[in-house]
Amino acid sequence: MQKILVWDWPVRLGHWLMVGGFILAWLTSESESLRLVHVLSGGVVVAVALFRLPWGFIGSRYARFVDFVRGPGSVVDYLRSLIRLDPDHHTGHNPAGGWAIVLLLGLGIATGLVGWAMYNELGGDWLEELHEGLAATMLTVVFIHVAGVISGSLLHGENLVRAMITGHKQGSPDAAIASARPLAAIILIAWVGVAAWWLAS
Amino acid sequence: MRAIPAVALLLASLACHAETPQQIRQIYVAEASSQQAGFTPSAKRGEAFFRQRFANNDKMPACTSCHTDSPLNAGEHAVTGKSIKPLAVAANPNRLSDPAKVEKWFGRNCKEVVGRACTPAEKADFVTFLSEVR
Ligand code: HEM
Ligand code: HEM
Repeated sequence: MQKILVWDWPVRLGHWLMVGGFILAWLTSESESLRLVHVLSGGVVVAVALFRLPWGFIGSRYARFVDFVRGPGSVVDYLRSLIRLDPDHHTGHNPAGGWAIVLLLGLGIATGLVGWAMYNELGGDWLEELHEGLAATMLTVVFIHVAGVISGSLLHGENLVRAMITGHKQGSPDAAIASARPLAAIILIAWVGVAAWWLAS
Repeated sequence: MRAIPAVALLLASLACHAETPQQIRQIYVAEASSQQAGFTPSAKRGEAFFRQRFANNDKMPACTSCHTDSPLNAGEHAVTGKSIKPLAVAANPNRLSDPAKVEKWFGRNCKEVVGRACTPAEKADFVTFLSEVR
């Protein structure tokens, strides 16, 4: 076991853009003076999540959905190992974390698109309720996600937050990904800029 | 005492059927009367409030910043430029039909434009203005 590269650049950059966008969207949600900031930051969340879908098929090994979306059996096994305070080590995402990711991506897209529909008056007042309900559900999943990251980090003695920044985790050398895919990260930035601007206009 | 009108609003919105502008006005009038004996709502004061400029927010100093000089017109959001449906009941029958929605927008926009919560008397005057303006 040594430090190996597991998270490519689009995964890491996309993650922190989504965190920033989500927090900013929450903080500005009730203000009309900051409505544009809300719509832009919410647009960043949608744009990152939409990019992440194809990246889940063509990205590097641990970015792929096939690598971390597992059946309920594996999730239960992992949660049991967590309760025994001896969680199974996964080089990529653990099975419980994998489902949190799917939920966060889905809720990010749904919340943002409903917000966009409301912003452009494509529906009635019910859209406002739906937008708020989806956002609150997403916040709940974020808390569970962060709790999972903290407990996983403590129990493995491995700082998962730092791993999401540097891209490195413990693993055997042959499990490392070959490239951090910087070019795709540049495409991600360009896409997020264009898509968020378009959603806000 | 202050809790009673809030509870009335809550019950009214839970009942989940559309209220009339008169019922919504009545809720605020009751609340204002409990603080100020003999209170009667005035469309004139409501209109003055609508036009008053507050030194709180440069981007939206008055209600008129987004809602134009007349509540009978469609407005335009001062920041996003998105259109806003008319506030006057005469121009938009959906207005003043959902107490929770009315409270939500008083809550949000009084804080942002006026810089404080609006008083029950101000709200009673304002909804009176919106339901009577032609
Ligand atoms: C500041 C709080 C947060 C921290 C410290 C954090 C940390 C992490 C970590 C360590 C992982 C990898 C999990 C693993 O190794 O199994 C991860 C993945 C992920 N997190 Fe967070 N997270 C935070 C907030 C959020 C928020 C607010 C969102 C969504 C709005 C989010 C969405 C995701 C997604 C989608 C993934 C999967 C990343 C990918 O594979 O592209 N996270 N997070
Ligand atoms: C996924 C990220 C987003 C989150 C977490 C989020 C969250 C929220 C929340 C909590 C509110 C407060 C609702 C209320 O108190 O009535 C709100 C309001 C609003 N959001 Fe979002 N939002 C997001 C994305 C968007 C996007 C992308 C748009 C538009 C393109 C948007 C447009 C709006 C508008 C116009 C309002 C005011 C709603 C109203 O009239 O009551 N949001 N948002």
